Amino acid sequence: MMFLAGMTLVNNAGGDAFASTAAPHVLVVDDDAQIRQLVARFLKDNGLRVSLARDGLEMMDAMRAAHVDLVVLDLMLPGRNGLELCRDLRRETATPVIMLTAKGDDTDRIVGLEVGADDYVAKPFNPRELLARIKAVLRRSAMPGARGGGNAGRAYQFDGWTLDLLRRELTDAEGVLVDLSGAEYDLLLSFVESANRVLSRDQLLESARNRTADGFDRSIDVLVSRLRRKIERGGDASIIKTVRGAGYLFMPRVTAR
Amino acid sequence: MRRWLDTLTNRTILLLLIGIGLVHLASLYAYQVALDHEASAAGEARLADRMLTIKRAVMSVRPEEREPVAHELSGGAVEAHWSRTEHAAPGGAGSADWEPLKRKLHEMAPELAEGQVIVGSSRRGESDPHLAFVSMQLPDSSWVNVSVFSRLNPPASSHGAILSTSLMALGVVGLSILIMRWITRPLSAFADAAQRLYSGAEHVPVREDGPREVRELASAFNGMQDRIRRLIDDRTQALAAVSHDLKTPLTRLRLKTEGMADGAEAAGIRSDLDEMEEMLDQTLTYLRGDRNDEAVRRIDLAALIQTLADEAADAGGQVTAAGASPLIVEGRMLALRRAVSNVLQNALKYGGRADVAWSREGDAGVIRICDAGPGIAPEDIDRAFQPFVRLEGSRNRETGGFGLGLAIARSVILGHGGDITLANRAEGGLCVRMTLPAAGAPPPSPETL
Repeated sequence: MMFLAGMTLVNNAGGDAFASTAAPHVLVVDDDAQIRQLVARFLKDNGLRVSLARDGLEMMDAMRAAHVDLVVLDLMLPGRNGLELCRDLRRETATPVIMLTAKGDDTDRIVGLEVGADDYVAKPFNPRELLARIKAVLRRSAMPGARGGGNAGRAYQFDGWTLDLLRRELTDAEGVLVDLSGAEYDLLLSFVESANRVLSRDQLLESARNRTADGFDRSIDVLVSRLRRKIERGGDASIIKTVRGAGYLFMPRVTAR
Repeated sequence: MRRWLDTLTNRTILLLLIGIGLVHLASLYAYQVALDHEASAAGEARLADRMLTIKRAVMSVRPEEREPVAHELSGGAVEAHWSRTEHAAPGGAGSADWEPLKRKLHEMAPELAEGQVIVGSSRRGESDPHLAFVSMQLPDSSWVNVSVFSRLNPPASSHGAILSTSLMALGVVGLSILIMRWITRPLSAFADAAQRLYSGAEHVPVREDGPREVRELASAFNGMQDRIRRLIDDRTQALAAVSHDLKTPLTRLRLKTEGMADGAEAAGIRSDLDEMEEMLDQTLTYLRGDRNDEAVRRIDLAALIQTLADEAADAGGQVTAAGASPLIVEGRMLALRRAVSNVLQNALKYGGRADVAWSREGDAGVIRICDAGPGIAPEDIDRAFQPFVRLEGSRNRETGGFGLGLAIARSVILGHGGDITLANRAEGGLCVRMTLPAAGAPPPSPETL
């Protein structure tokens, strides 16, 4: 096996999360050497195998050299930038991509997702946030029926609402954007993906832990009531039903688009 | 009148009308004077000729026929008599006016010596400026006396003058409208281009044609446009570079704190990092200003406020939130989130708590965020919106931030065609009131965005 300079293979150091099977292999592409090393150490400590690349050329070499489960791609790179690389990558493989974008730059985010990235994390990022996103994307791509090629065009519709996975936003029947907190979005996504099944509080908490950096500061009950307030307008309590002693049931019929 | 004079066209029309009117009046006056002079000169010659004719006719007949002949020859303004004595006496009212007539008589009848012609008023003392008495002595020392009524000025042809003046004025108005339209049309194009330069991202060149001055202006304007664009592009690039270059070391620091044992020290470093990121964010947002690429969409403001209030409450703030949902406005999600968040955080930081209420009032969505702090001195209320201004007394450095929160909030709210005001509550504390045009109301005009 041949590795180029600047690319390091960090072996799985016995992390618990992915102990059963081979640990997922993550390729981190960033031009800052320290960030590469620090991210590698952090992800390795959390049970992932990590390879590093400094730019697009090294990225392509690394992907030819070994199977990569996920690419963490910085937007600002010397040579071809992250957007171009993501587009190239999308043409050849279905490997999930998480973009590192500049914070608060909505345009970067949307463009990144539109060229086929699966998710984005804004710089300067909280490492735990990055880990949570990596896990969520890996989990989604491992789901049966998951199609490669990012979230482009993916959306769920229920009861007049549209949940857009590309833009991570919820719009009502009139196209009005309804703001959700990160935790509310994740909770709603869990519901939508398990519609018409009773979800226990523990299940909801578990799936939330897989998505959100710090888990929930609040109990599931509080989150559900916040979500209800936003999507059950005018006291219409027909979307999320409380099942006494069991958990919650998401009532509407969900269609994927 | 002031409003009417506001346009270049109307000012030009007015100035041209005044100017032409003055010139016209002056020339009319000069013409009239010359005409009068000509007319009176001709009139005197005719009058003198007639008087001399009467005198010669009277002289050529026998004395007993002289009076009837003189009478025969009278008529019109002239009445002639023959007598042994002169009727006229020199002087009297209006005699100066008759002086030219006397000169004319001497000129045309050199045989009459000085003293043989008397031009003046009646010897009987009736002094009428319109009535002249002329006495001419015949060789036999008798006199021909002629009384002349004042020459009547020929009436000025005032109808013609008024008509020609009006026609001229109409022509001037028409021409000046045409000229000013022609001259000012490029100016409107400039105004239009300047507006679009501000609101839009694309280059708006002005056509460089028309008169030379306008061409020069267009060329200078296009040059200025290029320079402004370059300046903005440079600034945007500098912002992106600063943003990227500062965010990289911040990311490194964040990653390094992950390797540290959890404890007071690590928590302190993380909170410092949070603060630095926040400052960087606020500064970049402020400097980016209205160069905002975010799309305008229909937004449920109620959900947005609830998210922010919940987040603040989760972070340990005392927050209440109340209002009907949905409250739909047209706006930019991230910008509005930042504006409301800044005001909310200010209330918590300086006022101890935040009571958020929202409602729809007519065509506007209204958000009120009140706190329980010391408020702001009335004279400082305007200053509170200025960037990098921290009001001393009520606010100190320990509370963090560096004076951009309200400046950003205001620029966002104004950019949405809304308004933001501060007021102290009678029961204590500060109330910030933000209004935004509700969806369905006319969208904000481009120049305010």
